[in-house]
Amino acid sequence: MTELLSPAPWAPAPVDADAHLRDILRRHFDPDTGSHFWLSRAHTLGFDPLRDIRTLADLRRFPDLSDELRTVPVEDLIPAGQADRPFEVFESGGTVGAPKRVVDSVSRTLNVDWVSTVLDSHGFPRNANWLHVGPGGPHVVGRTIRHLAQQRGGLCFTVDFDPRWVKRLLAAGRTEPAAEYRDHLLDQVEQIVRSQDIKVLFITPPVLEALCARPELYERLAVGLEALMWAGTSISPESLRQIEETFFPRARVAAIYGNTLMGIAPQRPRQEGDTHAAVFRPFHPQSVVEVVDSATGEAVPYGERGQVLVHLLSRDMFLPNVLERDTAVRVRPAAGDTVDGLADIAPLPSQGGTRIIEGVY
Amino acid sequence: MAAAHGSTRPGPGSTRPAPGVARLDPGVARLDPVIDGQDVPSRDTARLTGVDGAPLAEVGLAPRLLAQAAVNRIRRSADGSVPDAGVFAAAGDLFATATLDGESPQEYRRRVALATGSAHGTIDRAVAGIRAALNQTELLNSSELPAPFAAGGYARHWVPRGRVLAAVVPNNHPEPNVTWVRALSLGYSVLVRPGSKDPFTPRRLTAALLRAGLAPHRIAFLPGGHETGEHLIDQADLGIVYGGPDAAARWAGRRDVLVRGPGRSKALVDAAAAARLPDRLADWIADDGGVRCNNISAVLTSGPVDELADALAERLAALPVHPVTSPEAVLPATGRDDAAALRDHLATLTAQVTDHSARLYPDGPLAEAGDGSTVLRPLVVATDDPFHPLVGTELPFPFVVVAPWRTEHGIAPLRDSLVVSLNGRHTDLAQQLLREPSVRKVTTGPVRPWASRPELPHDGSLAGFLLEPKALVVAT
Repeated sequence: MTELLSPAPWAPAPVDADAHLRDILRRHFDPDTGSHFWLSRAHTLGFDPLRDIRTLADLRRFPDLSDELRTVPVEDLIPAGQADRPFEVFESGGTVGAPKRVVDSVSRTLNVDWVSTVLDSHGFPRNANWLHVGPGGPHVVGRTIRHLAQQRGGLCFTVDFDPRWVKRLLAAGRTEPAAEYRDHLLDQVEQIVRSQDIKVLFITPPVLEALCARPELYERLAVGLEALMWAGTSISPESLRQIEETFFPRARVAAIYGNTLMGIAPQRPRQEGDTHAAVFRPFHPQSVVEVVDSATGEAVPYGERGQVLVHLLSRDMFLPNVLERDTAVRVRPAAGDTVDGLADIAPLPSQGGTRIIEGVY
Repeated sequence: MAAAHGSTRPGPGSTRPAPGVARLDPGVARLDPVIDGQDVPSRDTARLTGVDGAPLAEVGLAPRLLAQAAVNRIRRSADGSVPDAGVFAAAGDLFATATLDGESPQEYRRRVALATGSAHGTIDRAVAGIRAALNQTELLNSSELPAPFAAGGYARHWVPRGRVLAAVVPNNHPEPNVTWVRALSLGYSVLVRPGSKDPFTPRRLTAALLRAGLAPHRIAFLPGGHETGEHLIDQADLGIVYGGPDAAARWAGRRDVLVRGPGRSKALVDAAAAARLPDRLADWIADDGGVRCNNISAVLTSGPVDELADALAERLAALPVHPVTSPEAVLPATGRDDAAALRDHLATLTAQVTDHSARLYPDGPLAEAGDGSTVLRPLVVATDDPFHPLVGTELPFPFVVVAPWRTEHGIAPLRDSLVVSLNGRHTDLAQQLLREPSVRKVTTGPVRPWASRPELPHDGSLAGFLLEPKALVVAT
C-alpha cells in the first residue's frame, strides 16, 4: 500500500478549503464572535458573506480593504470570539506610505509550526542556535524566527535591524550611509559569532552579500553553519547558486517568502523536474495565494508570471483579495500536494522608457 | 574555512547546461564570466542584440556573490609581481590575428560593430591600436615615470600601491581596454567588468592573455550591471571607471578611483583658420564616427559662427549612410528602440539652439541603413553663448556645437576638455591651457586631436595612479 503514502511528508494534511473558508466567515461575521471591523462593514458589501460566499472563488466578490489597515484602531480588528487570548500587533514593511497593521494571537503559530516541519525536510538541524539578521520590532518575521528557533530547541540571537531606515536612505540615493548601516549590522553579527555557537542563520540577500565580502566574519560564521534561511528580497538564480555551492556548500539552504498579511510560504524541498531552484508553498488554506493577470484578475497559466493575490483566512484575521506589490511564477503543485507553488518572486516592475545617457560610454 | 570556491564549477569541456538558459540559435555567441582561466557558466543571463535587431550573444552575468568569489580567488594569489612583457606582446598579436574561443578576428569585428554600432573600420583601427599598445607596454609605462634612479646602495623603485584593480570599461571604443592590460603589466591582478554592449573585446583580450601565458589567477572577466561594477570597485584596492557624467560624478574625489569621464574635446579657431580648415575640422569631429572621447564635440570661433556651422554641416552631411558591417561604413548606428528615444532627445536638444543640419536632412539626422539599424548622421548646431550647457555635451555620433569666442572669454569656455585644439592666432593660449588642470592635452595647428606618440600621455599618468615610489637602501 505504499502508493497511498504521501511522497510529500512536508505538505499539511489535505483540508477542505471551502469548508475552512465557511468556518472562518462564520467566525468573523457572527455578531457574537466577529470583529468590529467586519461587522460594521458587512452591510456595505452588497452581499451576505455567510450565505453568498461558499467557495474560494467567491472571495473575489469582496473589496480589498487592506488600505484601511493603515489607520483603523487595531482593537477593531480583534474578533470577539478570540478576545480572551493575548494578541500582538504587527506592521507591514511601510515601503509605500503608512504601514498596514494586523493582529494575531495563535494563527501564525500554526503556520510557524508547519514551517518547522518543512525545515525538517530540508535537513535543518534541531537543538541548534539561530542568529536572526533581519527585522524585529513591528515586523512579524522577528517573532517568527524566534518561535522557529524555540520550537526547534534552540536559542535565537538577534541584532537591531531597521529596514525602513535603509529603504529611506536608498530611496534618497544615499548609498554610502546605507552601506555604513549594513556594516553596523555586520559589526553586531561579528560580536555574536565571535563567542557564540551559531548553527542556523536567517539573513536577507543584500546583507548576506555584504557578509560574504568580509572574509574574516564570513569564515568565522561559515565554518560552523549548518543551515541558512534567506528571505526579504528576490535573488538571482546565480546568486542562489553561489550561496549554495560556493559560499555555504556544507549548509542546508532554504528560503521563506512571506509578508505581514499572508504569513509564511516556505520553500518546499526540491523535486525531480523542478525548473525553479526555490518554489514557495503557502500555508493553505489559512493563506490562499493566487497568481493573477494584473489586467484581468484571472489566474495565469502554470509557468507564467502574474501578480500575487492573497486571502488571509485565519481565526484571528480575515482579509480577502489583497493584491500584493509582488509578482511570481505560478508553479504546478508538487507531487503528493494539491496546492500551487510560487517561484521567482520579484517586485512589480515600474513603468519607464529608455533613457538617453549623455556621453559616449 | 577553506571555502570551496570553484570546486563545484564545471571544468572546461563540461556539457552541463546552465539551467534556465534556452538553446541558442547558431551564430549567437555565449559569453560567460571567466575566473582563474575557466568559464563559469552563469545562471543569470542577458541577451545582447545587434543594432540590426538580430540576437548577437547571450551573456552570462556575474552578480555580486559571483564577483565576490572572483575577488577572493584573485586576491589569494595577487602578489604584485610583474609578468614578462613578452606575454603582452604575444597577447596583442593573438588578439589581432588568432581564433580565440572559436571566434575569428573577422567574427570579433562583426560582433563589436553590430553590438556597439561602431563602423567596421573603426573596429579595424582599434584592433591595430590595441595590438600596437600591447607590443610596447614597457615603453608606455616607462614614459609615464621619472628616469630610474640608483646610486651606490640607494635605489628608487616604482611599485604597485595596491594588489587588485577593478576596471569598469566602456562600450564606445575597444581601445580603453588597453588601460587594464597595462595594469596587469605593472603587477596588478585585475577584475574586469565589461560594458554591457561590448563584452567581446575584454573577453577576447582575456583569452589572448591566457593563451599567451598570463597566469590565470591574475585576471577575472565579470560581465554585470552597475551593482557588479560598484561591488568590484569597493572590494578592489584601486578602481578605474569609464563612464558618462553620472559615473564621473559618482566616483569623483575618490583617491582610489581613476575616473575617465566624457572627453568634451574642443577646438578654437579664428576666422582665417575657420575658412581654411573646415575639412580638417570635419575629420576631427567625425573620424571613427565621432565615438571617441577625443573627437571634437565643440568648436569655438572668433570668426562668424553661422558661416562655420554651415560649412561643417555641409561637409559632414556628405558622409554616406551604410550598415556598420559594410567596409564603406563611416558613421555609427543604433537599434530601433534606442533610435526612437534618441530622436525625441535630439528634438528637445536642437530646440534650444540653431540646427544647421536640418536643411540638409529633410527627414532628420537618423537614417535607415537597410539592415534594420538606424545610422546616426552628423548634427551641427550653433549657439551665441560659449557657456551654453550644450557646449561640452558629447553624444555617441558626430555631434558638434559651434559657439562664439572672444578674447575676453579667455580659457573659461575651454575648460573640462580631454583635448583642446588651438588654431590660427589662438595658438598663443597653449601654455595657459596646459596649466589648466581640467584640460588634459593641447594641440596647435592642423593636427588631429588624437595625434600622439607612445611617449605622450593620453590623459594624465596611469602609472602615476597605479604605482608609487619606494626606497631600497642596501648597505655597501
